[in-house]
Amino acid sequence: MDALSLAVSVAMDAVLVTLVLAMAALGLALIYGLIGVINLGHGAMLTIGAYVTWATTHAGIPFAAAVILAALAVALIGLAFEHFVVRHFYDQPFETLLITWGFFMITTEVIKIIFGTTMHPVTSPVTTPLDLGIAVLPAYRVLVAGISLTLIFLVAAVFYRTGLGVQIRAVIQNREVAGLMGVNIGRMYKLVFVVGCGLAGLAGGLLAPILSVGPYMGNIYLVRSFFVVIMGGVGQILGGTIVGSFLIGGSETIFALFSSQVFAQTIVFGLAIVVLRFRPHGILNRR
Amino acid sequence: MTESKKTKQAGITRRSVIKGLSTAAGAGAVALAAPGIVRRVSAAGPIRIGVISPLSGDWTIVGKAHFTGFKMATDEINAKGGVLGRKFELIAGDYKSDSRLVVEQANRLIRQEKVDFVAGTMSSADRNAAAPVVTKTDKILLYPTFYEGQEKEYFPGVCNKNLFMFGPVPSQQVFPHLDYMIKTHGKKFFMLGSDYAWPRVTNQVTKPKLAAAGGEVVGEVYTPFNTPQYESVLRQIRASGANVIFYSLVGPDSITFRNLLQASGAHKDHVIWTVGDEEFLTTALGPDVSAGDYASFDYFMSIKHPNNKKFLDTYRAEAGPDAVLNTVAAGMYNAAHMAAMAIEKSGEVSTDALREGLKGLTFDGAPQGSVHMRADDHQLVLPSYLMRVRKGWTSAEDMFEQAHVVERAEPSPANCDLPL
Repeated sequence: MDALSLAVSVAMDAVLVTLVLAMAALGLALIYGLIGVINLGHGAMLTIGAYVTWATTHAGIPFAAAVILAALAVALIGLAFEHFVVRHFYDQPFETLLITWGFFMITTEVIKIIFGTTMHPVTSPVTTPLDLGIAVLPAYRVLVAGISLTLIFLVAAVFYRTGLGVQIRAVIQNREVAGLMGVNIGRMYKLVFVVGCGLAGLAGGLLAPILSVGPYMGNIYLVRSFFVVIMGGVGQILGGTIVGSFLIGGSETIFALFSSQVFAQTIVFGLAIVVLRFRPHGILNRR
Repeated sequence: MTESKKTKQAGITRRSVIKGLSTAAGAGAVALAAPGIVRRVSAAGPIRIGVISPLSGDWTIVGKAHFTGFKMATDEINAKGGVLGRKFELIAGDYKSDSRLVVEQANRLIRQEKVDFVAGTMSSADRNAAAPVVTKTDKILLYPTFYEGQEKEYFPGVCNKNLFMFGPVPSQQVFPHLDYMIKTHGKKFFMLGSDYAWPRVTNQVTKPKLAAAGGEVVGEVYTPFNTPQYESVLRQIRASGANVIFYSLVGPDSITFRNLLQASGAHKDHVIWTVGDEEFLTTALGPDVSAGDYASFDYFMSIKHPNNKKFLDTYRAEAGPDAVLNTVAAGMYNAAHMAAMAIEKSGEVSTDALREGLKGLTFDGAPQGSVHMRADDHQLVLPSYLMRVRKGWTSAEDMFEQAHVVERAEPSPANCDLPL
């Protein structure tokens, strides 16, 4: 493999890994980044999304529809969870942490009771690899990366370019004043929480053909998603998610060129700690 | 889940029925006020075996196959009238897939339930947890799983005169097929495994044999559990020009890697030879990702041995028409039959009698062929099957096709103070 094609293939891998991780972390970036709920149930939401996708594709529903169903199902669960539990604890970060952890544990057990503990395959909808001549790419991951990028920009567009985005930002900046100006604070929180859950469900569905569907699959991405959000900067939906995902996921591909993958992973997490020491609010947050 | 509950309940009912019967018999005997009769009644009671299986938790499905394998054999033995005129009674010890609970279950079965011997545990960690208990109470443990082999520094988990091993070790699972794989696919091997003892030891003992067979190791990587990205490892494998990926990634990690290998179009250049992915994991991979790869074990549902058909029929009658099993279930089945033969041979049920009876015992009814318990190191001599995953398989039964078969694979001598 010559130097150019190596560089291209490493760069491509880094981009794909970054965007797939960003897909997994986006829902958390919203919920944790915007309304400050430390959602330890994020991994479980990915898992539910994956199970819905597996169950519905298994029943003969096309993959794309299955993934959308997964997003809707998890959004619905999120809505109920927010309405009956989470909204009563918005000012208590420690309590929400425990509650969402409880959500994770209950969900995992319920999944085990309904579906058992065996892992299930979800067949990838695109199987032929993408041959660019200079590098061969896994086509499905390219698709997921594309969706991921689109969604990040979509969320950012809503956030920065619409009236709704202005209201959400107002609530985050100063809740009392926003409330006095007539913004329905409870509704904004609910909206962000439910959309975040839906995105987690969507991500779970999209990740299903890459990983395997099992009761603990979401855990693989739970810790990494938190790292992504904290590294990128809490509240930095657009840049933070991408930069954080690159540092936690994509950069490993590059470090691995000079060392082993396992060592590269260690470097990445070591680096994360160093960065946080000097930029405790994340790379993109100045405060 | 519901099914496992059913089996458990059935077990309890059966046990309480037997208990009830023996109490009634005992009461009758007491009424006669003749202690001699009481002793004779209890001597003719069942032979009690503790079966330590993960019947709930993460390994429920494999755990059920594990338990059912043993139960099938004892049902067969009981149907023929038992051993020495006594029937086998199983007492299940569910350790919920948690190695820490093995000690508790082993203690309960031996000290409270007063079983005559125990069988089971799944991983090496489980076996290592049970071993001190059986050593201290001087009971025999029959262990069914493929594992890394015996090294005396790890006593009492191995090299223990109270343990008998019914699963294959790397010298049986791997060595017999090295020549075939080198001749068929090439000499460059890339070793990829999960980062814990079994993959590392397997690769370590395989390396000199591979070199002797004319192969070479072009890379060796161990990754932590739950690694979500294998792009770098895959690049390393591609750059190494490996012909064979000698493979011991386990669980979800195996699926993540093999999905990527397939998706990236690299599967056509490198063939996987796995020593860990059996029927259950291959089911989770699906036919597209797994086709063309190799696996080697002592037993597969797809093997052509005549004993296997009867074994599978009985298993289906017991566990349902679509039930899947693997090497571990076969190991448990053989363990029960060989224990019965050993007791029959030595004429009593004590630990010493069972140990002496098992040493050097040959069992021709094993689903994988004839098996033989080596007297010195308590390691089973087994057949070894190298299987290729069939294209477009539809179930665990037509999943593999035989590529290379060795009818009698001798394990390397255990590194213990022999004889045990």
